[in-house]
Amino acid sequence: MPKVTINGRTVEVAAGTNLIEAGLEVGVQIPHYCYHPRLSVVGQCRMCLVQVALDGKVMPKPQAACSTQVMKDGMEVRTDVPEVAEAQKGMMEFFLINHPLDCPICDQAGECGLQDYSFKHGQAFSRFRFEDKRTYPAKERIPLGPHVLLNMNRCIQCTRCVRFTEEITGTGELGFFERGARTEIGIFPGKPLANPLSTCVVDLCPVGALTSTRFRFAERVWYLDKKPSLCTGCDVGCNITLEHRTGAIRRYKPRLNPEVNDYWMCDHGRGSHERYGELPRLAAPRVRRDGGTAGAGWKEALDEVDRQLRLAATDGGGAAFLGSGFLTNEEAYLLAEIAEVIGSPHRGVWVEPGPDRTIPNLHGGVTGREAAPNRRGAQLVGLVPGPDGLDAAALLRGEGLGQCKVLVVADSDFGGPAHDPEAVARLRQVPFLVVLGWADTPLAQAADVALPVATHAEKDGTFVNCQWRVQRFEGAFPPPGQARPGVAVLGDLLGRHNPQWAGLGTAQVFARLAGEIAPFAGLRFEGIPVTGAVLEVAAADREPPG
Amino acid sequence: MAFEPVLTRNVGKPEVRSVRGYRAAGGYQALAKGLAMAPEEVVEEVKKSGLRGRGGAGFPCGVKWGFIPRGSDQPKYLVANADESEPGTFKDRLLMEHDPHQVLEGSILCCYAVGAHTCYIYIRGEYVEAAQILEAAIRDAYQEGILGDSVMGSGFLLDIHLHRGAGAYICGEETGMLESLEGKRGQPRIKPPFPAVVGAFGCPTVINNVETLANVPHIIERGADWYRSIGTDERNTGPKLYAVSGHVARPGTYETAIGIPFSELLELAGGMDRGRELKAFIPGGASAPILPAAQRDIALDFDTLAKAGSMLGSAAVIVMDDTTCLVRAVERLAQFFNHESCGQCTPCREGTNWMDLVLGRIERGEGRPEDPQLLLDLCGHIAGHSLCPLGDAAVGPVKSLVERFRDEVDAHIRDGRCPLPRRPYFQPEGSP
Repeated sequence: MPKVTINGRTVEVAAGTNLIEAGLEVGVQIPHYCYHPRLSVVGQCRMCLVQVALDGKVMPKPQAACSTQVMKDGMEVRTDVPEVAEAQKGMMEFFLINHPLDCPICDQAGECGLQDYSFKHGQAFSRFRFEDKRTYPAKERIPLGPHVLLNMNRCIQCTRCVRFTEEITGTGELGFFERGARTEIGIFPGKPLANPLSTCVVDLCPVGALTSTRFRFAERVWYLDKKPSLCTGCDVGCNITLEHRTGAIRRYKPRLNPEVNDYWMCDHGRGSHERYGELPRLAAPRVRRDGGTAGAGWKEALDEVDRQLRLAATDGGGAAFLGSGFLTNEEAYLLAEIAEVIGSPHRGVWVEPGPDRTIPNLHGGVTGREAAPNRRGAQLVGLVPGPDGLDAAALLRGEGLGQCKVLVVADSDFGGPAHDPEAVARLRQVPFLVVLGWADTPLAQAADVALPVATHAEKDGTFVNCQWRVQRFEGAFPPPGQARPGVAVLGDLLGRHNPQWAGLGTAQVFARLAGEIAPFAGLRFEGIPVTGAVLEVAAADREPPG
Repeated sequence: MAFEPVLTRNVGKPEVRSVRGYRAAGGYQALAKGLAMAPEEVVEEVKKSGLRGRGGAGFPCGVKWGFIPRGSDQPKYLVANADESEPGTFKDRLLMEHDPHQVLEGSILCCYAVGAHTCYIYIRGEYVEAAQILEAAIRDAYQEGILGDSVMGSGFLLDIHLHRGAGAYICGEETGMLESLEGKRGQPRIKPPFPAVVGAFGCPTVINNVETLANVPHIIERGADWYRSIGTDERNTGPKLYAVSGHVARPGTYETAIGIPFSELLELAGGMDRGRELKAFIPGGASAPILPAAQRDIALDFDTLAKAGSMLGSAAVIVMDDTTCLVRAVERLAQFFNHESCGQCTPCREGTNWMDLVLGRIERGEGRPEDPQLLLDLCGHIAGHSLCPLGDAAVGPVKSLVERFRDEVDAHIRDGRCPLPRRPYFQPEGSP
């Protein structure tokens, strides 16, 4: 592999590596706007100009780092010479002369490429004082599609968005129109930017030209707390950065995982957190007595559940356990463990089929087909019917519930049936209904005991995506009110049978399940790689009964 | 010794627009001779002739042909650059309108030399008449067996297509032309890869100017040694068309040996219009830096002009007399480059626009003392930083204005007005 020297630091890189990537290898950041590792190289913004010497001979003009590849030994690159600084300064001046500088009302402020590089490479005053700025009248807020708004005055014509629709989604809705200083981005008549990944252009836009209709004016970005997390919109398991302000989620942004979602995520996933705001929250445990429901303390509620479960186990009739694809592996494992203790074979995971959602990556892409992130994991760790057991579909049809004494539904918002009065009535046939969940759905309201648990933003855990890849996430903020993470609630319940299950954290539960469930063998919670770990699951176990 | 026209010998003879007439005037003999040679020999002969590209950059033509890989399975293309849109330039138009078969003959020889079986002539959209004449000549050539399955019975297959542009200056830049030819937005590509490796439709491609191609038949017919005997030195050989415009008595295209001194060319063009004084001249089209009258004896060839801080470019000589306001003239050129910038890269898109605005201010009398330095800074930030040569081209006239005619710029700023009376561009004979 050829060697290249950048600012005196030598590194060996694969032939064909461009200088921006090579620079990162030695800790030299070369500023750029139009370059993106997944888009074609166009060398348009000219921000990445560097001085290149080949075999000791300095090239007369500065070269664009993005389009200069290291092919053989002997290339020496400098970004710390006055010529380069001058070129960068000149380029920043060009970017800003026609930019409105409306940072106080711009959504991008705080995460803006122009602000960052102005600070680093620009100057604090303008020489463009005696001319009028170029404007695009009536093009300050053009809806390009349902999720993206364009302010042409702020655009720096880097064409990342154009190339994204051409090269990643292949839909080509965006184009360059007009010419020269009047060049603008736009859509073709009657063809809105409506592909499933459209909001990615907002992430790609280095300035405030493209903004998200969802996030627009929702929050100044410097007030946001960010936590790496996973999207729960489907079973692709896109890696995201969850951004919230004191517990109110403002947006999801894709987080690089080349094996799953690469740099992208879909519009559906970006909006999936809105559900947390749309449904009423279950804030305290609730117990039904004397024909009505009333708030209760955790101890009282769990004692009642435990009593009913014990009765069911000893008096016959038994209990049934219905989980959902939104449970973490740890929660599903504990739920299955309770079923084991009670001796119930009736367990299942309900997940609704979703439309196909494909996220492109370098290996072709990942397609999710379910409306929840973790059906596979929940089944792997034990939420499958035992011998003669009822599965999730049978439970939802109301089969055998007449004979059962207790039904535990973990997740009050597992899908359509939780909101469908007929489905709720069928589940209600059971003498004692326990519902765990974050949302106060019709199902939760019908429960004898409703237990408030954390959303995925409020708890730690692991999911198994459609590639059978186990991925870890951590809570971004604590659950509100009396809600507790599902692992704590289920652990509490289990602890009443066997104290060694009480008070376990997510990592400890994961350690136990890794010791028991073969595909997880050898994994540690903290040791799961950032790109996730693919589980080896026998073909027969991939689609268990039910 | 009087110069005997080579490229323009058939100008004014409408009969040569047909294959029959062109043959009668001695045409297509070079092609017959060339087809009897090995392709490598044709390339070698052109290399030996020292022919340099007539489009502007002056790259040695034979060397360019030599870059085309031999023996690869990929198709190869010739694209003849007939997108003549540099302001002041009208030499290729003359060749295409008056002697279209000379252009075709050169193109066929080039295709034969590099092994291309398809040639595109990318012609400027505004050249309607030239396009019609070339179209007719191509049709005629197919009928006469000059083009098609077997060029002049040699078994060499060649198709020539005429492609009309839509009037963008940037499509005269070779990679911008390729994009346009492929049906895309006309904007230059990054180089490398160079067109000789990845050109039209991803295949090796030669791009030659029309005048360059028109030279080829004469080199093949009369030999490289004859060709080299014309011109100033080893590096500047052959006949050259000069498109003379501006304040001269007889504007027009003049053919001489390359390297004629400007003063002699001026005489050929009938001297200064109405006997006025020469103030400045642009030796190579709108993008060439302006030279002052003191340089009037300079030889108009590639190297001499480069040494003098200008360039031969397309050899469009724009002559300006002492009634010309140079700030106004350069402002007009800056407007052109601002209008023609493709908008792709930052320095050109923003820089040409800003230069245009600043020059406009100075000309209107709203200049500021810091403006000359600002213009020089802008030139420094555009030149060498843009994606394609258009940025460098736009800088040429502006930089030379500030550096060589600073007094005139300063006068505008100091007095708050243009010192010269505003005149219409075209003054009818006899007007004051």
